[in-house]
Amino acid sequence: MTATALSAEGITRRGRRGETVLRVLRRPTAALAAIVVFLILAGAIAAPLIAPYPPSQFDYTHLFASPSWAHPFGTDELGRDLVTRVLYGGRTSLEMAALATLIAMVFGSIWGFAAAFKKGWIGEVLMRIADLTLGMPVILLGLVLVAAFGSSIFSLVVILGILFSPATARLARSALLSELESDYYLAATSVGASPWRIVFEQLLPNTMPVLLARGSIVAADAIFIEASLSFLGLGVQPPKASWGTLLHVGYADLYSSYWYPLFPGLIIVIAVLALNTLGDNLQRALDPSRR
Amino acid sequence: MHPGEPVLDVRDLAVEFPYHGSTVRPVRGASFTVASRQRLGLVGESGSGKSLTALSLMRLLPPPGRIAEGRVLMGGVDLAQLSERQMARVRGGRIALVGQDPMSSLNPVHSIGRQIVEAIRIHEDVSQRVARARAIDLLGQVGLPNPGRRFDSYPHQFSGGMRQRVMIAMAISAGPEVLIADEPTTALDVTTQARIMDLLSSLVEEREMAVILITHDLGLAASFCDDIQVMYAGRVVERSRPGPLFAQPIHPYTEALLDAICRLDYDVSKPIAAIPGQPPLPQLLPAGCPFHTRCPHAFDRCSIEEPSAHVLPSGRMAECHLADERATAAA
Amino acid sequence: MAIYVLRRVVTSIGLLFLSSVLIFVVLRLIPGDPTITKLGGGMTAVDPRAFQALRHQLGLDRSLTHQYVHWIGGVLRGDFGQSYFSQFPVTTLIKERAGSTLELAAAALFIGLLLSVPAATIGAIWRNRYFDAVLSGFTAVGMSTPAFVNGLVLIVIFGVKLKLLPTQGYVSFQNHPLESLKTVILPAVTLAIAIAAPIMLILRSSLADVASAPYIRTAQGKGLLRYQVVLRHVLPNATIPALTMIGVIIGSLLGGSVIVEYVFARPGLGSLMVDAIYQRDYAVLQTLVLLAAGVFIISSLLIDLLYGVLDPRLRVRGQEA
Repeated sequence: MTATALSAEGITRRGRRGETVLRVLRRPTAALAAIVVFLILAGAIAAPLIAPYPPSQFDYTHLFASPSWAHPFGTDELGRDLVTRVLYGGRTSLEMAALATLIAMVFGSIWGFAAAFKKGWIGEVLMRIADLTLGMPVILLGLVLVAAFGSSIFSLVVILGILFSPATARLARSALLSELESDYYLAATSVGASPWRIVFEQLLPNTMPVLLARGSIVAADAIFIEASLSFLGLGVQPPKASWGTLLHVGYADLYSSYWYPLFPGLIIVIAVLALNTLGDNLQRALDPSRR
Repeated sequence: MHPGEPVLDVRDLAVEFPYHGSTVRPVRGASFTVASRQRLGLVGESGSGKSLTALSLMRLLPPPGRIAEGRVLMGGVDLAQLSERQMARVRGGRIALVGQDPMSSLNPVHSIGRQIVEAIRIHEDVSQRVARARAIDLLGQVGLPNPGRRFDSYPHQFSGGMRQRVMIAMAISAGPEVLIADEPTTALDVTTQARIMDLLSSLVEEREMAVILITHDLGLAASFCDDIQVMYAGRVVERSRPGPLFAQPIHPYTEALLDAICRLDYDVSKPIAAIPGQPPLPQLLPAGCPFHTRCPHAFDRCSIEEPSAHVLPSGRMAECHLADERATAAA
Repeated sequence: MAIYVLRRVVTSIGLLFLSSVLIFVVLRLIPGDPTITKLGGGMTAVDPRAFQALRHQLGLDRSLTHQYVHWIGGVLRGDFGQSYFSQFPVTTLIKERAGSTLELAAAALFIGLLLSVPAATIGAIWRNRYFDAVLSGFTAVGMSTPAFVNGLVLIVIFGVKLKLLPTQGYVSFQNHPLESLKTVILPAVTLAIAIAAPIMLILRSSLADVASAPYIRTAQGKGLLRYQVVLRHVLPNATIPALTMIGVIIGSLLGGSVIVEYVFARPGLGSLMVDAIYQRDYAVLQTLVLLAAGVFIISSLLIDLLYGVLDPRLRVRGQEA
């Protein structure tokens, strides 16, 4: 094969990866996970449209009501409908998770790519730092950072983003390294293609799919940790509400109205499970060496 | 090299794997017998079905593969019908397998001695001490220097050739009647290869074992085996003693294989006679004779009807419509 | 071998030291001041002299480096300072609560291993598709369910509906064993579920890897039965790479206990940490985090050393043929 043919192959690999993604969705668990993710996202985005009640509508006559046709999830301590609160809380949780994922992916990718390019001691040091934090429980690191930087939405999002960057960095680095060692890359450079062209037409498109698959898992983790922090009262602060804060408040009255924290809790599990499953299936399809 | 009583009788063995909704048969009807002290060679390219045939004799097919048809008779018992428990007693005790990957065929966290002792004590109720003594003796028999001291060594402390000897010791430890050697020397250098084959030869004589040697190396088969079977596309397409096989191959595939062997006195200006085309995948077998698409002697019957086994007066066998003509021409 | 051990120990000490610096610096970066919180209000409500006096008393008016050196000096002598709020020495606070957390961790570890190891092993022996699917499902759900949801469900079932077990509080095992067990069961099971999931994930993947190795076919070829192959050959080889899961377990126990202690109102190091964050009690917080980092670093060290002992390929390096 000629060098130009090889580098053209590298570009068309991108197309084949697209097919792989579609093929993954044929598996029932993956398809189900994708549907659930879509529904949750749609629910959050369309919250103002589909919520049965306006978010701040109180009903003092029905505090801590148990589930009924009027209020399928019951009501909270101010008589607000919990379905509505879950929908709006979902907006907060998902927005934060999305932003955190974005930060983690961008920052992590740059980190990992830099480590891949600069293979000398700089790359080593960068990766060492990443490895250090990988074993530690994320919640503890998160607590320390929250203790230091506070619980404003901004700092929470940034903290979450930072927490998940090291794992993304490792993935980005190994993805880029395998690209740099591929025949396609060798061919492209030997043909004399400009570095920017190589980056945009080959390197980025070929590392994107793996990173995006990882993004789903990062989002799941972000929701998980945000909910944990908010549950402890150290995450999202009132008057803003997220799924975690609903659990935080609901816990106080566990014995009398256990459905209050139960529904947001179940939604969290469903969201995290769906995102994890989707991401896992995508990763497995894109990287045949994984089981 | 006088073979004794038949010990293994394989009839119409077929191995099946599920494939995209239906099934595929990498082994489509292999039949052969092996007698004690006989050395049978099973020769073929990758994908011919030879390794799967060997594995199915041991009932060690990787799932989801299974034996679809056929009988594997040993001492009147059909091994293909035995329960897993019963088959476990046969493995090692009556048939044993030596594989091609000595580097990773031994458990890295047990000493070699312990692994041999385990092999002994599965099939015989002896004390640890007796088994240990036997294991050390076996290690000596397969040519391992200082067997007493090496007993407690670990696999990674041995070279490939040594590990293969350990594997052989382990395989023969329970006194099996049939030893299957699946590419036993592929991963070894030529000198070690020769020594291992010598070892196998002597063991065959001493223990009256039968050996089935599976290899893609025709030369190796020629020097070691009494009988060679050539496999192609899941069937045995020719069976013959080595001499006549190499002098006058009957099946066109065998002929093509032999033609493709480079010899030192070749004219280097001529291209190497390679067989055109590729061996067919089990799921894409051509109609009729599986070799006809690559056969220089193919005629119209070959694309319609799959040839059955033609047994010739000399005892040779070939699955080819032209077998009789080619045999007479050769004689 | 000895050199390797020494090197690892020195690296670990270095890591500990580095962590202490990091922890110290990070916690000091916050704009909010513990002094303000302690004095009870926003800047305007505070008497400037009381503010300065308290800062001086807590040593917060000295330079950062000075504060660090003071702290580290104390740490090396075993003095972790005083809590900013309760005036108790940090060591006292930790000692009070360590027992509860250790009991919880031990119970959770026991139950978690009891759940995961046999399940993974049976899965490897049986190789039944439905059982494997159930295990995969459990692992996936287990990893997606935060401990507070687990705890919530358990409390509702056992505390609210069945009223069988207490759902909060703590009784020390030494004081009253039976009551202690009753208080620890629900939190321990909650935490156990959280650690069983990652253990099973790692163990099953390790078992699957080993099961496809050539020496497993050799073992079968010798005539061993399936369960013998798994127990004698697959499991020993699978647990060595799965030793990394010890690190994961310890990490999960550390992190999970924070949540679980909060859920079950169980006094312990986890809830101490949460309180310290609320109160911006640096002294307690930095000690707890240093403790956690220390546990983590030491366990990594132990795992590395354990590898060397268990894997003969690493062990007998000097005795090559």
